[in-house]
This record gives sequence, structure tokens and C-alpha cells, in this order.
Amino acid sequence: MISKKKKITVNTIVALVFFALIAWAVVILLKPSNGNVQAKEDQWSEIKEKKSITIGLDDTFVPMGFRDSAGKIVGFDVDLAEKVFSNLGIKVNWQPIDWSMKETELNTGNIDALWNGYTKTPERAKQVAFSTTYHRSQLALVVKKSSGVKHFSDMQGKVLGVQTGSSGETALNSQPSVLKKYIAGQKAVGYDTFDKAFTDLNANRLTGLLVDEDYARYYIKQQANPNDYGIMTGGFAVSDDVVAFRKGDNGLRRAVDRELAKLEKSGYVHELELRWFGQSSQNLT
Amino acid sequence: MENVMTFLPGILAGLQMTLGVFFITIIGSVPLGILASLAMKSPYFTIRWLVNGYIWIMRGTPLLLQLIFIYYGLAMVGVSFTRFEAAAFAFIINYAAYLAEIFRGGLQSIPQGQFDAAKVLGLSKGQTFFKVILPQVVKIVVPSFGNEVVNLVKDTSLIYVIGLGDILRAGSIAAARDVTLVPYLIVGVLYLIMTAVVTITLRASEKHLNVWR
Repeated sequence: MISKKKKITVNTIVALVFFALIAWAVVILLKPSNGNVQAKEDQWSEIKEKKSITIGLDDTFVPMGFRDSAGKIVGFDVDLAEKVFSNLGIKVNWQPIDWSMKETELNTGNIDALWNGYTKTPERAKQVAFSTTYHRSQLALVVKKSSGVKHFSDMQGKVLGVQTGSSGETALNSQPSVLKKYIAGQKAVGYDTFDKAFTDLNANRLTGLLVDEDYARYYIKQQANPNDYGIMTGGFAVSDDVVAFRKGDNGLRRAVDRELAKLEKSGYVHELELRWFGQSSQNLT
Repeated sequence: MENVMTFLPGILAGLQMTLGVFFITIIGSVPLGILASLAMKSPYFTIRWLVNGYIWIMRGTPLLLQLIFIYYGLAMVGVSFTRFEAAAFAFIINYAAYLAEIFRGGLQSIPQGQFDAAKVLGLSKGQTFFKVILPQVVKIVVPSFGNEVVNLVKDTSLIYVIGLGDILRAGSIAAARDVTLVPYLIVGVLYLIMTAVVTITLRASEKHLNVWR
């Protein structure tokens, strides 16, 4: 059997080591954190030197950035970003992220920018810096033509679907007189991804779907009978797609803004819009 | 059918990640689980408390939350893992906690008389543990261990939250791109195949272990 003296000694040592570890952890937590200090500095010169930048995207996000059947990352935003950075002589590493963690990924320095149909909002302005707007899109109501819905007001008492956490859900609630007042129970059904909502629309469990017009057109194109669907726009505010940077990264942001302005002028952005959305975005001012 | 073929390359790339996390977790968590189960029987109450605290935290919070804390939370205080390291670390310490409880159950089912007998026969502590106790414990814990392993196959899908592309995420990508549920069906079948392999392997090892009785 172990002597009482030995027991007391070992217990004391273990307890001391444990409390020392706790104290150390507390000191580290209270200290201004490394990650954020680093994030406040301008990384632009470092990025130029390494000739590579890491951009975060949700690789399920069609048609802005997603994977084709060969597993390659493609999309409107991907083409545009690759062009901008190849003009700057920088290689892009695409890092798939969970979209709900996007600002955390950016501010912990795991990625240097977010470029994936990211919409400008006042809440996001508090956490990140925006580039200039490179694409405008508006919300669209997608219905099956067989439902007979031709105006927002035809949705009276009908079931509407939205993507949870999307700009569509926010707009629906912030401008209730446009569409929300008509729909069944004044409450939309939330889906985590748009393709699931589309499945429900096809199964007639939904009458309408409120989504970004770009996605709506892409998805309808994928259907067996694209002519069975109707798209209605208007009423909701137009959303601005921007690139997000850390607040301190002014050099990077300015370089991207310059390149975007050039590509806008040369008609390259317009060309990409035609290729990916089949039509140009709202006029940029 | 050609449909299925177009989805396979992406999904198989995801399968690699799933299997990577799976094997590294098994390799890491089994020894750690055995250590923790022994520590729970330690004569020193401080060690017992620490291990019980660790198991309480690991079993008492969702694995998803632990992944978020280990990858994003620790990065904020300057400890930065790569994505895969964070996933491996979180899964190993989480599964070790569950396995520790299973191994403890196995250890407790060995009667005290066997420890006493081994002592009388002059076996060392190491000999007693590795030659007498462990072989019996292994046999007892195989069914409940199998449960955890099957759970692990499916839990690997949680790594999407730190941006790793596992088989389920690969399925979601294909489903979003081509607006069809077929990729999910393929993913489901692949999960079934993986769990079938796990089940058959464990059954076979159980039979093999029966030699002792």
C-alpha cells in the first residue's frame, strides 16, 4: 500500500501543477491576443512578397464559387478574383470555410479576404473592411408557372421559402410591406441551402422562394423544364456584392479596388456576368 | 447511372478526408483512453478528479463546439493549429474520454481476486496488467468499443465547421451544383459500406479473441 505521506506529496504536486496551468491560461487569455494584434497590421507587403493570398469561400455557393464535377473551384467570383490577382502578380489559394465562421476566419488570419457573393451590410461594416461594389443583384421570387402567381400580392396565404441567414431573409423581415404581409402566417420556411428549398418547390410544398436573382437563374437553368418557372423582381432594395478584408489591410484593399475599377472599365466584369448569370447586373454607379 | 459517375470523383476526394480523420482518431484515442481509464483508478484523488473533470467536459459539450473552440478559439490566444491538426486533436481527446469510460467498465469487471492471485504468483505490476488483465478487458469491451467506432465514422462529418471537406460536404457541394439529391444517396451508401467494414472487422476480431475462453 502507498504511504499516507507519499499520497499527500503526490496530491500536492498534481494540484500545484494544475493550478499553475490554470494561472498560465488566465494570463494568456487576459493578455491582448496575438492573433488580433497581427490582424491589425497591414499584411499587404507580406502578401506581395509571398506572391500568394488565401481567400475564403463557401464551396457550395453556386454560381459565385463552387466545385465543378472534377472538384475544381470555379464560379463568377473565382474568375474575377483570379483575374484581379493575376494582374497583381499574386497567386490565389482558395480555402473552403464554413460560411457561418467567415468573419472569424478573416480576423484570426486564417484567410486574407472573403470573396464569395459577400453582401454589404451595416452590421458587417463593424467587423470588416469592404472593397468597392463589383456586382449588384436583387432578390427574386421564384414560383412555378402552374401556381398562377404573377405578382407579389398573389402570394396571399401561400407558403414562402428562404435560405436561413441569407440576405433574402433579412430583407423579407426589414421590408414587411413588400412580401411578408401576404405570405401564410407572415412567416417564411427556412432552409439551410437553396437546393433543398428548390426540391420543396418542385414537390409543391412551397409556392414561392425568395432568393438572389443570380442563384435563381442558375438553378432554373439546371432544371429539366426551365420554362415551368417564373421569376419576379422589384420592391426589395438592391444588394451590393463586395470583397471583405481585415480592417487594417488598407494596402490590399486599395490594390484590389484599383484592379476592379480597371476590369469594370474594360468590360471584363460585364463579360463574366454574361457568362455566369446569362445577363448583366444592375448598372453600377 | 452516368449521373452517379460525375459525382464520384468529388465524393471520393471527400472520402479520403473522412478516412484520414477516422484512422488518426482511432490510433490516437485508444492509448489515451486506456491511460485515462487507468488514471481514474489512481490512488491519488487529485489525478482522479482531473481525469473525471476532463471526461465531464468532453462528454458534456457537443463535439461541434469543441472543434470551434480548438480551431478558432485557440487561434485567438495565439495557439494556431492547421485545420487538420485541430480536427485530429479535437476528435482524439473527445473519443478518448468516451473510450476511457468503456475501458473503465472493462477493468472493473475483472475480479480483485485475479490481482491478488497475480501478486501471490510473484508477477510484476506490468506483467499483471499486460499478460493477465488487458487480454480479458479487450474481449469484454469489444462490443461497446464497436459502438463508438461506428459513431466515429458518422461524427467525422462535423469537420465541415472548420472548413475541411469531408464526404458529406462533397455531397452537399454536388447537390447544390446540380440541384439533385443523388449525391446524398451516394454518400449514404458509402457511409453504410464504411460501417459494414467496421462491423465485420470487429466481429471477426471478437471471434479471434474467443480463443482465450
